[in-house]
Amino acid sequence: MNDPAIEVRNLTKKFGTLTAVDNISLTIQYGEVFGYLGANGAGKSTTMRMLCGILAPSAGEGRVAGCNLIRSPEAIKQAIGYVSQRFSLYEDLTVLENLSFYGQIYGLSGQRLRERITEVLKTVRMDKWQNRMSGTLSGGMKQRVAVANAILHRPKILFLDEPTAGIDPISRRSLWELFYQLAQSGITLFVTTHYMEEAERCQNIAIISRGRVLTQGEPARLKEDIDGDILEITCQPVMAGARAFREIPQVKAVTLYGTNLHLNVEKGADITSRLREAANREHIQIESIRNIDPSLEDLFATIADDPNA
Amino acid sequence: MTLTRNISAVVRKECLHILRDKRTLALVILMPLMQLILYGYGINTDVRHLSTAVYDQDQSSLSRRLLQALEQSSYFDINFRVESSHELKQLVDRGDAKVGINIPPDFTRDTLSGEEGQLQMVIDGTDSNPANSALNAGQSIITAFMEREGLIPVRARPIDFRPRMWYNPDLKSSYFMIPGLVGFLIQLLIPMITASAVVRERERGNIEQLLVTPVKNYEFIIGKLVPYIMIGMLISTLVIGTAHFLFKVPIRGSVLLLSALTFLFLIVCLAIGLFASSVAQNQQQASQIVLFFASPSILLSGFIFPRETMPAFIYYLGNIIPLTHFLKIIRGIILKGLTAQDLLPQILALSVMAVLIIGFSIHKFQKRLG
Repeated sequence: MNDPAIEVRNLTKKFGTLTAVDNISLTIQYGEVFGYLGANGAGKSTTMRMLCGILAPSAGEGRVAGCNLIRSPEAIKQAIGYVSQRFSLYEDLTVLENLSFYGQIYGLSGQRLRERITEVLKTVRMDKWQNRMSGTLSGGMKQRVAVANAILHRPKILFLDEPTAGIDPISRRSLWELFYQLAQSGITLFVTTHYMEEAERCQNIAIISRGRVLTQGEPARLKEDIDGDILEITCQPVMAGARAFREIPQVKAVTLYGTNLHLNVEKGADITSRLREAANREHIQIESIRNIDPSLEDLFATIADDPNA
Repeated sequence: MTLTRNISAVVRKECLHILRDKRTLALVILMPLMQLILYGYGINTDVRHLSTAVYDQDQSSLSRRLLQALEQSSYFDINFRVESSHELKQLVDRGDAKVGINIPPDFTRDTLSGEEGQLQMVIDGTDSNPANSALNAGQSIITAFMEREGLIPVRARPIDFRPRMWYNPDLKSSYFMIPGLVGFLIQLLIPMITASAVVRERERGNIEQLLVTPVKNYEFIIGKLVPYIMIGMLISTLVIGTAHFLFKVPIRGSVLLLSALTFLFLIVCLAIGLFASSVAQNQQQASQIVLFFASPSILLSGFIFPRETMPAFIYYLGNIIPLTHFLKIIRGIILKGLTAQDLLPQILALSVMAVLIIGFSIHKFQKRLG
């Protein structure tokens, strides 16, 4: 098990003239929680579909769970589990019926199937709900069932496509606890998300935009490597401030955070006087300017706004 | 082994869906029975008991006997006896009488003297079907009456023309309609439920989950279709059984052959459903596509209107409708007792359709999955 769980080189997918995934290389170890970040349409799902063996790459090569991506995509399917963003089990079947169906497809039957279903439902703490109609469960519960379903056949890698989209914060936190628990048992988790606070929880992340990986590594390292300083500014009116401060040459990116602005500024540049100047000109009241530690969202804003990236 | 395992898993799951959605299941089974009852009891294109008005100016025993003969035939109910041709016209105009019979004053004299006996029959031709039947019935009753009375027929007939009906001597429309109904309902219902069952998987995102499992496309499709074949066989058995036992429609041919060919027709219908599902984005579109094909088949297949009278182009167009061929099969077996050999062209046509549509749909379906 010293081989990586996922190792792909120069993966590319073209749909006609559109390049959805452009020359991506990733290495992910077993037991790792890997976050795949990007805006909608950045190529997250296309990458995931190629890694799952359901979409043939236009170019590139690699191995997923020890199976060759190009030569044996069918073998990959037996070794992976998949949880989609949208609940894709049958809503008109009970939890138990859903799991039995998928269990049978993965070759389980009889006593072994029943035992395994009980086991996975216990893992996701849904064992009391097995006779409930799936459609009547809450969003968080549905995702738990989907996770149970995806690990029925003991996959080595679990792909989660925005598993927490549209789920309340409490259920989201407990889902993440479940993910860690699974990772500890040796399963690799490949999670796409656009929640930055979730990305912080991953051991490694890759940020993609327009089909290309902009940067990848440990979240803490990536934040250290951020090019420039982050200023947090509280001002009124905030939108006018965003417009005005973007004009200052040393400001590389402006992002709105609630009632605050985050400015990505060239390293070491003191632009306080320029900020005051712009504020006076546009009748903006600045309440505070603070130097802060960058978050992943700042990182994302910085590299996504960089025209050279 | 994987083949049967995966298919049976899909079949079992599909049966759960069907059993869970009891409303649709009830609809699919009750609708054919309801239609059958309607066609069997209600919709009767047999023309009997036409309301008739009579203006008998002759008032002779001969005219009375003629009217009696007409009434006894049960085709004509003499509800009105009037005293003027104006009154007669009014009754027919208003639609109170469908047929008006005007017997002139010198009817007996003319007839007995061997001259041409005049008898006027006015028929409401708004609906051409009963009008034609009334005309034919009236003519044959009067001819028979003349012969019975020993009267010289009005014109010498060099050819003794005595038509005789085969297969359905009473010309009961239920004999004709009910077997056709089986075919029509199968062609309407089966593609619709199969198409929506397949499209539903895509619409609700279930396909997304199935794609990453080791289940193969063809296993999924076969597993999905098997329960609907069973439903189709159930519907046809139910309808033909009810027709036979309740409406006394005879089954003159082999029941086994009928089942086998119904099965073949079901396959074609499933293929149509599969085709609709491979083109449609959602369940609504799928049922619209099915209806789009089903509607012309009511008119073109010979379900209601005889194809023989259609213009050549329309006639040949009817040949590409599966129902056209199945109607020949089911009517042929039920009413004429035809054998597989007699029905070879129809069997071939349906088989070719099955292969073509299934091939095309699976090809299309796979593209959509990828």
